[in-house]
Amino acid sequence: MCGISGIVHSENVGRNLFNSIRNLEYRGYDSCGMAMLSKGEFDIRKNIGGIDEVNAIEQLDKMNGMIGIAHTRWATHGGVTQANAHPHLSYKREFVIVHNGIFSNYQELREQLMDQDVVFESLTDTEVFVNLLEASYSESNDLEKAFLAALKKIEGSYSIVMLSAHDPEHLYCVKKGSPLLLGLGEGCNYVGSDLNAFLEYTRQAIVLDDGEYVVLGRDDYQIRNVQTGEVTEKSVLHIDWDVETSKKGGYSHYMLKEIFDEPQAILQALKIPSEQISVLARMFTEASRAYFMGVGTTFYVANISQYYFSTLAGQYYASVSSDEFSIVTVEPGDLVLALSQSGETFDTKISLEYAKISGAQTAAIVNVMGSAISMMVDNVIMQGSGPEICVVSTKAALAQTFIMLRVALELGMMKGCLTQDVYQKHQEDLELFPELVQQILNEQSGFVRNIARDTSHVEHWLFLGCDIYYPVAMESALKMKEVTYQHAEGMPAGFLKHGTLSMVEKALHSLFFVPPMGQKVLHDRTLIAMEQVKARGGTVIGIIFQGDERALAACDQVVELPEMNLLCAPLAQMIMAQMFAYYAALDLGRNIDKPRNLAKSVTVG
Amino acid sequence: MKAVILAANLSIRLSPFIETRCKPMIRIAGHYILENSIFFLKEAGIHDIVLVVNHQQDMVRQYFGSGQTFGVNLEYVVQEKLEGIGHALSLCRSSLEKKPFLLVYGDVMTDYNPFLSILQTYSETDREVALVTLPESSKEFGNVYLDHEMKISRLVEKPQANQSNYVFAGMFVLFPKIFELLAEKQNDVSRCYEQMVESNKLQACLWEKGWIDMIHPWHILDANKMIMSSWQTAEIDSTVKLLGHVHIEGAVRIGPGVTIESGTVLKGPCYIGSNSYVGNNSLIRNFSAIGPDSIVGYGSELKNCVLFGNNDVGRLSFVGDSVFGENVKSGSGLTTVNHTVDYGQIACKAKLDLVETGLTKLGAFIGDSVSIGARHTLGPGSIVESKKIIADFITL
Repeated sequence: MCGISGIVHSENVGRNLFNSIRNLEYRGYDSCGMAMLSKGEFDIRKNIGGIDEVNAIEQLDKMNGMIGIAHTRWATHGGVTQANAHPHLSYKREFVIVHNGIFSNYQELREQLMDQDVVFESLTDTEVFVNLLEASYSESNDLEKAFLAALKKIEGSYSIVMLSAHDPEHLYCVKKGSPLLLGLGEGCNYVGSDLNAFLEYTRQAIVLDDGEYVVLGRDDYQIRNVQTGEVTEKSVLHIDWDVETSKKGGYSHYMLKEIFDEPQAILQALKIPSEQISVLARMFTEASRAYFMGVGTTFYVANISQYYFSTLAGQYYASVSSDEFSIVTVEPGDLVLALSQSGETFDTKISLEYAKISGAQTAAIVNVMGSAISMMVDNVIMQGSGPEICVVSTKAALAQTFIMLRVALELGMMKGCLTQDVYQKHQEDLELFPELVQQILNEQSGFVRNIARDTSHVEHWLFLGCDIYYPVAMESALKMKEVTYQHAEGMPAGFLKHGTLSMVEKALHSLFFVPPMGQKVLHDRTLIAMEQVKARGGTVIGIIFQGDERALAACDQVVELPEMNLLCAPLAQMIMAQMFAYYAALDLGRNIDKPRNLAKSVTVG
Repeated sequence: MKAVILAANLSIRLSPFIETRCKPMIRIAGHYILENSIFFLKEAGIHDIVLVVNHQQDMVRQYFGSGQTFGVNLEYVVQEKLEGIGHALSLCRSSLEKKPFLLVYGDVMTDYNPFLSILQTYSETDREVALVTLPESSKEFGNVYLDHEMKISRLVEKPQANQSNYVFAGMFVLFPKIFELLAEKQNDVSRCYEQMVESNKLQACLWEKGWIDMIHPWHILDANKMIMSSWQTAEIDSTVKLLGHVHIEGAVRIGPGVTIESGTVLKGPCYIGSNSYVGNNSLIRNFSAIGPDSIVGYGSELKNCVLFGNNDVGRLSFVGDSVFGENVKSGSGLTTVNHTVDYGQIACKAKLDLVETGLTKLGAFIGDSVSIGARHTLGPGSIVESKKIIADFITL
């Protein structure tokens, strides 16, 4: 996983290029670098560490030139070292490239080049390509031809931006399997792994498709097919994301900002036309079998969705973790619905490919436009939640769950499981949900903060719930682990007496997701488990609904939510748990937006 | 940019300390609250400060003077009648009416510099800004509702029991048009804020680090703990005399001219102000702040306490979870009992009523210039009014 960007301008773009990779830092941040071409000379600076750390050493923002490329890296091949950081220079110092993805046949090519006395400085697959390019150029003396010749020799998935002293006016870019977008400015053009690379400078964008390459100048660009050489006409998109939403504003962390963005994310999810929701729902009616697929948080979103589909449409669909999808025997006529924030998740991509090859229909709910998954499936819903910068997913996960709820409602209606009145009432409540979330975020912050303050020392948590609150507990436990590094185990509340109860003592804290009292059977089941923990001296925290005296009596501390639609209740609890994880991490001084060892989207196997 | 610090108010709930000093002249972790604010303002590039004073203003003027020794220019505005924040601010109109300025309530304390954050938000948004924070209880403060752009969308003065919102943290960047608004709203500052919120103009800046508003005397201990918890290093002046074996651990700060006798143990974070003396075999535990020119007698134990300065703690005493005003002298064998036998919650008999502190550990609050004779035991949460003299406890 990496972020790449490039700018061609008529003015000095050092500062802009630096800002550009800084805005991509969430794509990977173990090392970074920039290359600029000025008066026929390359200035290449790179080092290990986050963007600001590297800038403090290398002064990236002070670099000069009217054309340049930049990269922020999440290591896949080769360790995290200065030599392995991008950009990579060819051995005769005539070409420099940045690359996102993997060249699968690089070992073989590397040996061939070494036989031709090429000396390698790093262990990366990227350096193989840049030297291949140089070798090709020495044969043809034509940059475009050399670029294509080198491309034809490599295999794998990649996006590449190349700069050469032989053509100081253009960037050469190609996309195959990893995302790449163009940004069109006035007297300047941009290229980047995603919109954040240039959203600060332009809102006109072109999403490249696999197998397309571009020769990008400051006033011109030409997109062609790598295989046929034919020119492709592409439509220019106007991006209406507010630049401010890509930035932190007055929040000290993206995570809290993104939690406070949730009412907006739900509003956007409500704006998805109902025809799109119907098309997806219809795919379920036509499928012989259907599966939900996601990994990490999106797997839990899939699990929560199972309950919505079962309750509203009377249909059980299996949810499978993308990395374990090989257990499923997919057949023609099946439907596989994938969930991915970035649309680049490696395991999900691979499993979708397997589903496609097996003849299944595929669909996806994705947040990032132009991403691999969004382009490979038969039907995609763009969730439109806006950029999510914090590595830990909050608003994107919530919006996906909300969209799945909309699809389940629609399917329920199609299958005649819901009356028009019930359907209508739910729709009305969903419309009101953004405002309710805004109210909860404001009115409960202080309580959640206090509980987090009192319990931030707790190293072991059980997160417990019944029915749909069970996957909510699982997802919330994952949030807790990701951002606080404390151990949290999500499980069905009914599981306790089958083993885990033996662990309970005062120091073990349990967080219960208590359903509204209106769901009597469910509420009883949860409370029985809670009282079992309490009776054994365990410390109990509850996320409950107002007026629940029994839960109030059994809990040491509570967050009390106002009454709401039963379908929205699990979502509201999810939000409270996100906030709880945030404040706990804040007290522990964790690196909240970039927890250790994690990257925003996992694009490696 | 200029700043105005409101330092005039008399808040009776801070008795027994408030009778003899204004709130910003409470010394915490070795520095007055006002000193802390001025230091942070200076660090944020603000050198021109208007101080609104009244109650016990001589103490402020005497210590800070023109501000020169603190690297700032101080202008004093006297609020003759204590008629609230809006009134105090309106008196500063002639000094502030041209440009945006910072408004700082003089009784709040933070562990890190909040002005850097609020000024950043101001420069990014070009709007009026209020610093907001999440206190342990939001009941005492103006509660705010934030929208997704972090603008304040609603104010609630008296929140309901089931809500706990972000609250105003007592620091604002305001535009000079506030003065017209104040005139229009009869100097009612809350109504001015409401008006700003209604016109969708007030931006919030979140403060997530330490923040304490001094309302009750035990908040002095909270603030002291907050400041000392932020200390990363020990600082011991080169003139300090450690006579014989003195054990020091943690972030211990000792001012110039201090003498510590052999056998004493200092467990940081703790503070000993200039020219103080600590006798043999004493134990100064974490979160103890001993003000300048103080004496701690032989064999005494101090823990989580604030001594304003010029104090004498007689030999073989225990001072825990307590605050001693300036010039408090106690004879040998003083014990501040800091919990009940059943570790129940402690109530504090303040000036007006009995207040539930919600704390299970709390010692005594002794006003300025109190003298306590030998062998006294003070119960949990006891308050001794300033200038009181308590005779020795003699059995024969």
